[in-house]
Amino acid sequence: MSHRFPLLLLALALFTSELQAQPLEIRKSLARITNTTQEPNYRIPWLPGATGGGGGTGWVVSKDRLMTNAHVVSNARFLTVEKENDPKKYIATVDHIAHDCDLALLKVDDPSFFKNTKPLAIGGIPELESTVSVFGYPIGGERLSVTQGIVSRVDFRTYSHSIVDSHLSIQIDAAINPGNSGGPVLQNGKVVGVAFQGYTGDVAQNVGYMIPTPVIRHFLKDIEDGHYDRYMDLSLGTFPLLNPAQRKALALPDDDRGVMVSSVLSAGSAAGVVEVGDVILSIDGLPVASDGMVELEGERVQMAEVAERKFRRDAVRLEILRAGHRKTVQVKFDRAFPYTMQANAYEQQPTFILFGGLLFQPLSRNLAAAYQFQNLRTDYYFDFFITRELYDEHPEVIVLSSVLPDALNTYLTDFREGIVESINGTKIRTLKEMAAELAKTPEFYVIEFVGANRPLVLERKAVEAARERIRKRYNVVEDQNLGEPAVADAAGQ
Amino acid sequence: MPVKAEDAPRVVRVNVTNQAWDFTRPWGKRAPFTRRAVGAILPGKRVLVSAELVGNATYLELESGEGANRTPASIVAVDYDSNLALLKGDDDEFLTSFKPLELTEAKVGDTLAIWQLETTGVVLATQGPMTTAEVARYPTDESSLLVYRATAALQFRDSSFNLPVLKDGKLVGLVVRYDNASNGAEIVPTPVIEHFLKDAAQQPYEGFPRTGMVFSNTRDPQLRRFVGLDAKQSGGVYVTDLLKNSPAEKAGIKPGDVILSIDGNAVDQDGNYVDPTYGKLSLIHLVSTRHFDGDTLKMKVFRKGETREVEVKIAYRDVGSYVIEPYVIDRPPKFFILGGLVLQELSRQYLKEFGRDWEKRAPPELVYLDRYQSDLFKKDERGKIVILGRVLPMPSTLGYEELRHLVVTKINGFALLSLNDVPSALAQAENGLHKVEFDTDPRIIYLDAGAISAEESALVRNYRLPATQRLSE
Repeated sequence: MSHRFPLLLLALALFTSELQAQPLEIRKSLARITNTTQEPNYRIPWLPGATGGGGGTGWVVSKDRLMTNAHVVSNARFLTVEKENDPKKYIATVDHIAHDCDLALLKVDDPSFFKNTKPLAIGGIPELESTVSVFGYPIGGERLSVTQGIVSRVDFRTYSHSIVDSHLSIQIDAAINPGNSGGPVLQNGKVVGVAFQGYTGDVAQNVGYMIPTPVIRHFLKDIEDGHYDRYMDLSLGTFPLLNPAQRKALALPDDDRGVMVSSVLSAGSAAGVVEVGDVILSIDGLPVASDGMVELEGERVQMAEVAERKFRRDAVRLEILRAGHRKTVQVKFDRAFPYTMQANAYEQQPTFILFGGLLFQPLSRNLAAAYQFQNLRTDYYFDFFITRELYDEHPEVIVLSSVLPDALNTYLTDFREGIVESINGTKIRTLKEMAAELAKTPEFYVIEFVGANRPLVLERKAVEAARERIRKRYNVVEDQNLGEPAVADAAGQ
Repeated sequence: MPVKAEDAPRVVRVNVTNQAWDFTRPWGKRAPFTRRAVGAILPGKRVLVSAELVGNATYLELESGEGANRTPASIVAVDYDSNLALLKGDDDEFLTSFKPLELTEAKVGDTLAIWQLETTGVVLATQGPMTTAEVARYPTDESSLLVYRATAALQFRDSSFNLPVLKDGKLVGLVVRYDNASNGAEIVPTPVIEHFLKDAAQQPYEGFPRTGMVFSNTRDPQLRRFVGLDAKQSGGVYVTDLLKNSPAEKAGIKPGDVILSIDGNAVDQDGNYVDPTYGKLSLIHLVSTRHFDGDTLKMKVFRKGETREVEVKIAYRDVGSYVIEPYVIDRPPKFFILGGLVLQELSRQYLKEFGRDWEKRAPPELVYLDRYQSDLFKKDERGKIVILGRVLPMPSTLGYEELRHLVVTKINGFALLSLNDVPSALAQAENGLHKVEFDTDPRIIYLDAGAISAEESALVRNYRLPATQRLSE
């Protein structure tokens, strides 16, 4: 009993000195980020949008780069970073930003920022119930804050920044508050995650999320070639093969293996390679269980995680059963899924055409959020754009989002929220095609909308006569912005 | 005008117990409920009430005003489109001491009296002005017909599900909707009632006829110039769509045509004509209520600079002609349980099971199909849409428990145009397996035909099903 006591004291002494040592060390690796933003207004798309501000935390990931969340530095017009014990404000810029996994890398104009800073090492996935510490600059004070908690859950979750992407996410019960975003979460001196999401008190208690290191590493590897290519996706739907009759019909033995392909997106990487009805038996040599899980590095995970680890120009090898015959096929990831219409969009000025006081904009999450469309068809085109492959006929769903009243268009307000089908008999698939059609000079522009409706008719002479007065009346700075297509990614360049 | 107590009663209480089918568990009905209304006595010992009162009725009863005498009743005729029903008492003597009401029309500005009954049987007449005569949507949502609107401060009284409205002692309509906040009463008026009664006098009952044209206004001068209408001409409606196999389609009318007049009545740019009684009124009243099924209407149609006369033989539209029927009333839902998969035909009645705001709560893809069925199914020869409503889990459906609200396209390669195709499709099983295909994920599932047969009695016992199919109505 008595000889245990001094050991305890020693352990305690070591523990406390380590605690005291850590904050001092960690200060060399942290930065407070201040972002001046400018967010476009989709209702007045010819104006640059309102300026605002925000902030978060960043940390030194290499000798000359800071890592933080994408949402801390999105829509940035001016970024500054500060570090502990340094009065200066340093101007920073975004080097790479990944909206599909909420990570970003910053450069600092003045290289002296990185003098006396210490890059943090990146660790692995922490064990459930183990302790982690969150460092950052959240609300509740001005200086460095530390909160501590345990690892509660490791799961695939939606990343709310884009709202359409899901990746591995670690739930911890340490307090993560506004301002903590982008900050490192440490265990044994190494980064085990980037704090990024939490729940408000009315929804859940003690629930915070961090981006785990596999996602961090994936981002860093992707940008090695100087360009962020985004996550690759199989773009196919599968159905678990649990039913014995189903297995018999597909000529499968009773061995709990295989999932059936239930959909293949025509715009995805697997199109033309895999077919509906194929049974996937293995992916990159890993057997696929009948519930769609594979064993990856000792863990049972969803098949999608194999694709999660791929990069552009990689491929996966699928062993499939098609009509009773075994085949091996390769799905090549030549590009990320091109249609991001349903994702929150950043760094983009809204594209639009203002014609005769009629404002036409391509449907997107940002647009829908700005207008709150009531029309059932417009809602349907948004919600089922990908699952019903509406992008085939309408790669951009052009919506008449609003009307700037003028004598020219006073009878046309009931066309609002309609989706453009064709102009003067020419099918319209993108905003650029629409602009090209409207650049022609017929006597009448006859715009047909999806669904049965009378055509919207504009007389060219009247449109031209009205152009200036509409501009003046509504303070319109430019009549159109055709931008870069918001729909299809430029093929990775 | 006060009603004298000695006068023979002109109205009677009507008590109806209804029991609707549960479209989400189509083998059974929901709990019964009873509603009470005041019906108008019509010549021939008939009682007029709203169709909504008697939809899915299981027991009807006439009751004297003070409640002393009652007799069971039955439906002589019912029309859900015009929201009217004609009843008779099973005891023919019951209405002998009652006097029928005459029908008359009313105009904006007239004072109307809405009749309710006190518990003693005395009439409580609340008066108010008629504010409006217009064509408006009727409850099934598929038809628009004339309504009268009046403002009257009604008090709460029993038996008010629908109420007779009188003017100078004569019947002008039935109140079918009343808004407490605005004191606004919506009345099914005499012209609609007379059409219903005349139609009901001969078998079979046909209904309010239509042309099948969908049209839109021609207010925009740019549209008018584009179409080539003379600047001196005003009016006309632009035809945007013709329903499949409709009277107007058969008569050769096409989208883009402008209808200038119907039966000698000029049609204005908003689709109104001048009615001799009501003044400016939607042409729908002219077509549907001033005419009957089988009548021929002469229309002046403008197309590409020329005006021609086209004859359209108008017809009522049977609810069965819809791909997705707007209502299924007085008919049990069809269903077929395949090993635990509950197969049904999609109808708006099914979607309404999701509650008052069903348009937001029902499966959005099915709501979309219903709303836009007239333009989505033009080319298809599709009869009805077969859906998998839900799965009653059984061993043979292992793995399929979560499937619901899916459109079923084929069984065993056989395209399903209605639920009645299911038995013949099942007869074509290959290798003892049924292949069921959907229009979305999971696309294809298989069922063991032998296992399904073997499990049938266990399925029935387990879920206490009164039946595993109903293919006829």
